[in-house]
Amino acid sequence: MSDREHGRVVIGVIGDDIHVVGNRIMQLALEESGFQVFNLRTRNRPDHFSQAALETNAHAVFVSSLNGEGEHWCAGLRQKFVDVGLDRVLLYVGGNIVVGKRAKDEVTALFRGYGFDRVYHQEPDIGVAIADLLEDLQRGQSRR
Amino acid sequence: MASPVAERAVVDLERTRRQVLSHPLARGLAYDETREFLAAVPLRRFPHAAYAQRAALPYIQPRGGVPTFEAQHRLTRQLSAAGADFLPLTIDSYTRHNEYETATQLLRRSEDEGRDYLNGYPLVSHGHELTRELYVGVEKPISLRHGTPDARLLAEIALASGIAEIEGGGICYCLPYSEGFPLDRCLLYWQYVDRLCAIHSTPERPVHRESFGPLSATLVPPAIAIAVQVIEALLAAEQGVKSFAVSFGQTGSLIQDLATAKVLRGLTARCLSEFGFADVRSYLVYHQWMGQFPHARERAAALIAGSSLVAGVIGADKVVVKTVDEALGVPRPEVNAEAVDTVRYVLDIFSCAAPLGSPLVEREAELIESEARSILDAIFDLPGDVFWQSVFRAFQIGYLDVPFSPHADNANRLVSMRDANRSIRIADRGSVPISDVDARREQELLSASKAPAGKTYRQLLRDINMMAA
Repeated sequence: MSDREHGRVVIGVIGDDIHVVGNRIMQLALEESGFQVFNLRTRNRPDHFSQAALETNAHAVFVSSLNGEGEHWCAGLRQKFVDVGLDRVLLYVGGNIVVGKRAKDEVTALFRGYGFDRVYHQEPDIGVAIADLLEDLQRGQSRR
Repeated sequence: MASPVAERAVVDLERTRRQVLSHPLARGLAYDETREFLAAVPLRRFPHAAYAQRAALPYIQPRGGVPTFEAQHRLTRQLSAAGADFLPLTIDSYTRHNEYETATQLLRRSEDEGRDYLNGYPLVSHGHELTRELYVGVEKPISLRHGTPDARLLAEIALASGIAEIEGGGICYCLPYSEGFPLDRCLLYWQYVDRLCAIHSTPERPVHRESFGPLSATLVPPAIAIAVQVIEALLAAEQGVKSFAVSFGQTGSLIQDLATAKVLRGLTARCLSEFGFADVRSYLVYHQWMGQFPHARERAAALIAGSSLVAGVIGADKVVVKTVDEALGVPRPEVNAEAVDTVRYVLDIFSCAAPLGSPLVEREAELIESEARSILDAIFDLPGDVFWQSVFRAFQIGYLDVPFSPHADNANRLVSMRDANRSIRIADRGSVPISDVDARREQELLSASKAPAGKTYRQLLRDINMMAA
């Protein structure tokens, strides 16, 4: 498997959510920034992410949720990665990840508690996550 | 070659209908009983009758669906009291995916815990007998809003509930809403729904169908949206539907909105008449901005006011409204009612006697019409025994290509971006059969105004988030 310069990233939308626009742009943005992207597209279960990360030997996994189902599906997500031996894979989440109007800090703390490395609730600029990813990878957190 | 033909492609409902109605949640509903019930509901439940009485302003329709009967009953009264001309019944997403058991379980949980576990009204779980009670005394059309590829049972129950407007279509409820539901199957299932609406229609009480023109609501070139709308009107007409609304979503460009409305209205009427369906009444529905909404309520309100103005100026028959909380998720009933009031206010104070025009709009309309016509003519020439098969083929070979559709069968070769007027331009036509002249014109309009180069994704993001910024 050929590595693009910066690493391999699995991306996808979790739950019964088919909001595809951000997913498309995310793929384009990561590719333009030098990553190899494995796009699971829409309507994914937690297993799909851990399985894809295992199969592609991914450095990072970007989970997105736009319809707010994120809270329900993400609670046990880190454990799925632990189960397949991927304890150290970088886990990012973003989109509209909870239902209703809630403080960003509160949402961030909630998802950090679920084992996510970075949380982007209603963050409009994908560039922020990409910059963070480059930084995290440079620190070598998940290079296996 | 398969262009639309009256009374040749009519689907035989009876073979599949028994199977559809054998579902326990159909609760024994029967053709004769539904027919008798529809004959007895107030005439104004039928959009045909409502539209006939429309004065100068577009009708207003909010969105709204909640899980429990009591809450939906309250919401319906609230929206009606706020001045909604059409009342929505928005269906939850489990029901849309035919997952009736899950919908029923989450309905029970919502009832027990007093918290909403569904994002709409699970019509199939509630059934037609109870849902009839929702609308006792209501003399306005109820509009079924969903996004269901296989809406056969849902439509049966809706009609039996006294709902006489069914939104959707084989393309518009598949391409934007599903990633894997087979498109050919979806087209067939919607032929069933169209036929069902037709057999429950009488000349005074035609069951109304409406298509969903915004599609993915993301940089969809007007010509693509118009081609899809005309196709769905023709597919419905083939099955005997006599009352049909085409629609489109606010494009983000005033010029393009004016041009799109003109072409969509004209081309729909011309195509219906060309293929022998001159007796089908068509209407124009305008959707307020369907893309990413601003989070700030003041800006959301401004956007809603602006698009209300456009709805009036284009002479829409109906406008489907958004709320100031659009960016935050499913709005509360009060916010929904406020939206109706705001839109009514703007429509009133800026009412416009005749659609406005300008040379710029005329030029845009000429381009859009030429493109839409090329696409439609190419599809009419495709092989197939019946028209829907040509439509299916059109997607397989990329003649129809909807940007940002999640569907696996979508070609994704067409690339669109905004020009300096914020009009949506076709940067790369992919396999969509617009003429070389029109394709060049699109390029010229785009390059004449090209923003400073940067990463493609940033340009696309800017274009998509234009209103939300």
